[in-house]
Amino acid sequence: MDTFLLLGQGFLVAFELQNLLYALIGVTLGTAVGVLPGIGPALTVALLLPVTYKLDPAGSLIMFAGIYYGGMYGGSTTSILLNTPGESASIVTALEGNKMARKGRGGPALATSAIGSFVAGLIATMGLALIAPTIVRFALSFGPAEYFALMVLAFMTVSAAFGDSTLRGLTALFIGLTLGLVGIDLQTGQARLAFGIPDLLDGIEVTTLAVAMFAVGETLSVAASKRSADEKIEPVKGSVWMSREDWSRSWKPWLRGTAIGFPIGAMPAGGAEIGTFLSYSVEKQLARKPEEFGNGAIEGVAGPEAANNASAAGTLVPLLTLGLPTTATAAIMLAGFQQFGLQPGPLLFANNPQLVWGLIASLLVANLMLLVLNLPLIGLWVRLLSIPKPWLYAGILVFATLGTVGANPSSFELGMLLAFGLLGYLLRRFGYPIAPVVVGLILGPLAEQQLRRALAISQGDPTVLVHSPIAIVLLLLAAAAVIVPLILRARGKGKVLAQLAADED
Amino acid sequence: MRKLLFALAGVVAMSAAQASATDYKIMAPAAPGGGWDQTARAMQTVLQDEKISNSVQVTNVPGAGGAIGIAQFVNTAKGDPSQLMISGFVMVGALLTNNSPVTLDQVTPIARLTGEYEALVVPANSDIKDMAGLVEKLKADPGSVSWGGGSAGGTDHITAGLIAKAVGVDPTKVNYIAFSGGGEALAAILGGQVTAGISGYGEFESQIKAGQLRLIGISSDERLEGIDAPTFKESGVDVAIQNWRMVAAAPGLSDEQKAAVGADVEKMAQSDAWKKILADKGWADTYLAGDAFAAQLKQDIDSTTAILKEIGLVK
Amino acid sequence: MSDTRPSEADRPGQERRPDMGALAIAAGLAIISVVIAWNTATMGGVASYSRVGPTAFPYAIAAVLFVLAIWTAVEAWRGDFPEREADNIPPILWIVGGLAAQMLLLKVAGFSIATGLLFALTARGFGRGPLWKTVPIGIVISLAIWFIFSRGLQLSLPAGPLENLL
Repeated sequence: MDTFLLLGQGFLVAFELQNLLYALIGVTLGTAVGVLPGIGPALTVALLLPVTYKLDPAGSLIMFAGIYYGGMYGGSTTSILLNTPGESASIVTALEGNKMARKGRGGPALATSAIGSFVAGLIATMGLALIAPTIVRFALSFGPAEYFALMVLAFMTVSAAFGDSTLRGLTALFIGLTLGLVGIDLQTGQARLAFGIPDLLDGIEVTTLAVAMFAVGETLSVAASKRSADEKIEPVKGSVWMSREDWSRSWKPWLRGTAIGFPIGAMPAGGAEIGTFLSYSVEKQLARKPEEFGNGAIEGVAGPEAANNASAAGTLVPLLTLGLPTTATAAIMLAGFQQFGLQPGPLLFANNPQLVWGLIASLLVANLMLLVLNLPLIGLWVRLLSIPKPWLYAGILVFATLGTVGANPSSFELGMLLAFGLLGYLLRRFGYPIAPVVVGLILGPLAEQQLRRALAISQGDPTVLVHSPIAIVLLLLAAAAVIVPLILRARGKGKVLAQLAADED
Repeated sequence: MRKLLFALAGVVAMSAAQASATDYKIMAPAAPGGGWDQTARAMQTVLQDEKISNSVQVTNVPGAGGAIGIAQFVNTAKGDPSQLMISGFVMVGALLTNNSPVTLDQVTPIARLTGEYEALVVPANSDIKDMAGLVEKLKADPGSVSWGGGSAGGTDHITAGLIAKAVGVDPTKVNYIAFSGGGEALAAILGGQVTAGISGYGEFESQIKAGQLRLIGISSDERLEGIDAPTFKESGVDVAIQNWRMVAAAPGLSDEQKAAVGADVEKMAQSDAWKKILADKGWADTYLAGDAFAAQLKQDIDSTTAILKEIGLVK
Repeated sequence: MSDTRPSEADRPGQERRPDMGALAIAAGLAIISVVIAWNTATMGGVASYSRVGPTAFPYAIAAVLFVLAIWTAVEAWRGDFPEREADNIPPILWIVGGLAAQMLLLKVAGFSIATGLLFALTARGFGRGPLWKTVPIGIVISLAIWFIFSRGLQLSLPAGPLENLL
C-alpha cells in the first residue's frame, strides 16, 4: 500500500498547473527532435537534458519525462507516415503502419500507436511498481545461453516476414548478417571487414541502414517505376479516427505487446527491437485476417508499438532495483537524476522513494499529455500525405538526410546512406524483402556475442545451449515457428501463407 | 543508440567550440555503468557544480576495451579543445591485444585522475567462500572457473591471468569472458552466469554492501580502510595491481589549448566536491599531470606490453 | 559492399529465361562470399584464448552466402524471379545525383545549399522543375530547417556562407 501512497503523492505534484506546463514543453521539444530519423529517445534526451537543469527538481523530472516520451513518439510518427523509421525500435512499425497510411488509414495507425503506447506505458509502470523484484530475478536468470535461444527465436519468427520466397528472404537476411560483421569484434577486439577504413571500425549504424533501405530505397523505386509514380495516395479514406473494428483488433495486441516488451526490456542484454520483432510475429500468427499482414494490418502496428513502450518501462526495472543502467537511455536518466542526489544501486528504491515514485508518476503524466496533445493533431499529420509526390519525396529525402547529418555530420555517413539506398532499390526491384536485412544487422552481432560467451563458459560444450528450461522452451518455440508453417503449407494452404507473408516494404 | 550518442558528441562539440570554450563533451569509451562511465559522470558533476564549465555532456561509445571509442575520438575530435575522453590502464592493454591501428600516442594526455584496486567477487550464494576456495577450484580445473570482467586484455583480464600465474596455473588456460561494460558484466555475475567476477571495487561496492555479492579479495598492497576483505597477498597470492584512469584531450591541440584544458582539469581535481566523490566511490586520488604524467604513461604502456606477453595475450 | 553489387545493365527480356539480372546478383553474392572468406583468412591476430574465435561466424556466413549464390543462379536460370517493370534510369540518376551533391557539398557549402540541391534534384527526378525555380525554393526551405533545428533545438548542422549570414 505504501507504494500507492507514494505514487499518489507523485501524481499530486505532477498535476500542478506549472508542472503540467513543463510537461507540455517537454513533449513538444521531445517530439520535434525525436521526429528526425536517426535521432532516437536517448539522443533526444541527451540533447535536451541541459534545458531541464534550470528548473526545480519536480519540474525538471517532469520535463525530462516529457522529452523522453516525446522522443519515442516522434519516431513512430515518421515510421507510419513517411516510411522512415526514426529509431531502431520503430522499424517494425513502418512495415504495417506505412502500408496503412498509404491506404488512407494513417489516422487509425497513428491512433493505435499512441493509445497502445499509453496503455503499455501504464501497465508496465504498474508492473514496475508491483513485480519489479520478480521480473528482475527472471531477467538475471538469463545467461548467454538463454539470450542466444532468445535470438534464435527472434530469427526464426522474423523469417515469417520473409515474403513468398525462402531464397530471397534468406539472402536478404544474410546480407544483413554480413553487414553486421563489419567492425571491431567485441570479444577479441579484432577488426573484421573494415578494410582499414576507420569509419567502419564501429560497425554500420542500424538507423543509417534502416533509413537508407526504407526511405531512400523507396524513393528511388517509386521514381523509377512509371506505374507507382502515377499512383495517387489518398491521405484519408473513411474515418481519421479508429473504427469499432480497429478497437477490437487493437486491444489484444496492446496487451500482448506489453507482456512481451516489458520483460525483454528488463533484461540487461535484451533491447527494445527484439520485443518489437517478437510482437510482430506473434500478431501475425494470431491474426484473424493474416492475409492483411504486409498490406497494412492494424495489429502489426498496435503490438510492436506497445512492446516498444513497455520495454522502455522495462529498462527501469534493473535501473531502479539493481542500479544497473542497461541502455543508453537509462544511463542518461541516471545522469539526469544524479543532479538531485539520487545514487544508483540496489538500495535506491528504499533510500529515495519520493524521487523514484515522482519519476514514475511523471512518466505516466507525460505519456498522457502526449496522448491528449497528439490525438487531435492526427488529422493534420495525415494531410502530409496529400502533398504531391515530387514534393513529398523530395521532403522525405531532405528529412532523412537531416537526421543522418544531425546524428553524425560526416560525408562518409551520407555516402553509406546513398550506397544502402541503392542496395534497397535493387533488392526491391528483384522482389527481395527489406526487413530481414535490417533484422540481420541488429540480431546477428547480438547472437554471435552470446553464443561465443555461452560456449566459452561451458568450455566448448554445446549442450550448455539446452541446459536450462528457459533456453529449451525458447528453442522449442523457435522450432515451432519454423515447423508449423511447413505443415500448413504441406496441407495445401501455401497460397494463404504466401499472401500472408507478402512483401512488406 | 550508443553510437548515436557518440555522434552527438561530435555534433555538439562543433557548435560548442563556436559558442563557448567552457562547454565540454566527455566521452566514456565504454557502456553505461562501468568505471569510465562513472569517472566521466563524476567529472561532469564537478565541472558543472564548481562552475568550471557551463555545460558538460557525457557520451558512451562502448566496445573492444575502448578501441572503438578512441578510434572515433581521434577521427572526429581532432583539434577540438572542448572534447575530452576518459581512458585508463584497461585501454592500454586492449589496444595492444587488438593490434589497434589507433593508439594512446594519438590523443593528448591531460592528467591521471584516479586509481582503483581490483576486487574479486562471487555471487552471495556461491559455494566459494574465500580466495583459498577459488584457488583450489582453479588448480583442479582452470577451465571450470569462468571470470566475468571488462574487455579482453584489460586490467580485469590481466589480473585474472596474474592470479593464475601466481598460483601455478597456466595463465593461457584462464576462461575469461569479456563484457562490454560494467553494467552487463555485473548482471552476469549477479545472475550466477560466471563463477567469479573481477573488476574495480567501485563497480561492485553497492552490491557488496547490499549482500548480493561476496568480496573475496582485493588487489591492493595493504588492507584498505572500510573494505572488509583480505588482499590477494594476504591470501597467499602474490598479485598487486592498480587500475588508473585518466582524461585525455583531442589530438592536434595548440599548447595554449592544452594548457587551458589542463588548468580546468586541475581546478576540478583540486576541488572539495571532487575529493568527496572520490571518497564516496572508494577511488584513490592519484592526480598526476603534465610531463610527469606523460612519462608515467609511457612507462605503463611498456610494462603492460611485457605483462601481456608473459601471460600469452600478445605475441 | 557496394562495389560487389551487380550492374544496372540488366533488362528483363521478353522470354523469361534465363534472367540475366538475377544471374548478376548470384555472381555478386558469390563475390561477397569470397571477400568475407578472404578477409577473415588474412585477419591475423592472436586471440587464441577464446574457444569460438572471431572467425567462426564470418566463415559460416560466407559459406551460406555461397550456397545462396548457387541457389540464386539456379532460380535465375529457370526464370523463377518475379517479373520486373522496365528500368527507368533517368529519375534514378537525378536522385542519386542529388544525394551525391549533398554529400560532397555539405562541408563546403553548408547544410542549406547542399540540401536545397538534393530537394530540387529529387523533385526533378519526379518530373518537376525547372531547376532555376526549385533550387532556390529548396535552399530557402533548408535554411528554415537549419534555423529551427540548429538555433532552436541545439542540433548542430554544418554551416556555410548562407547560414553565417543569419
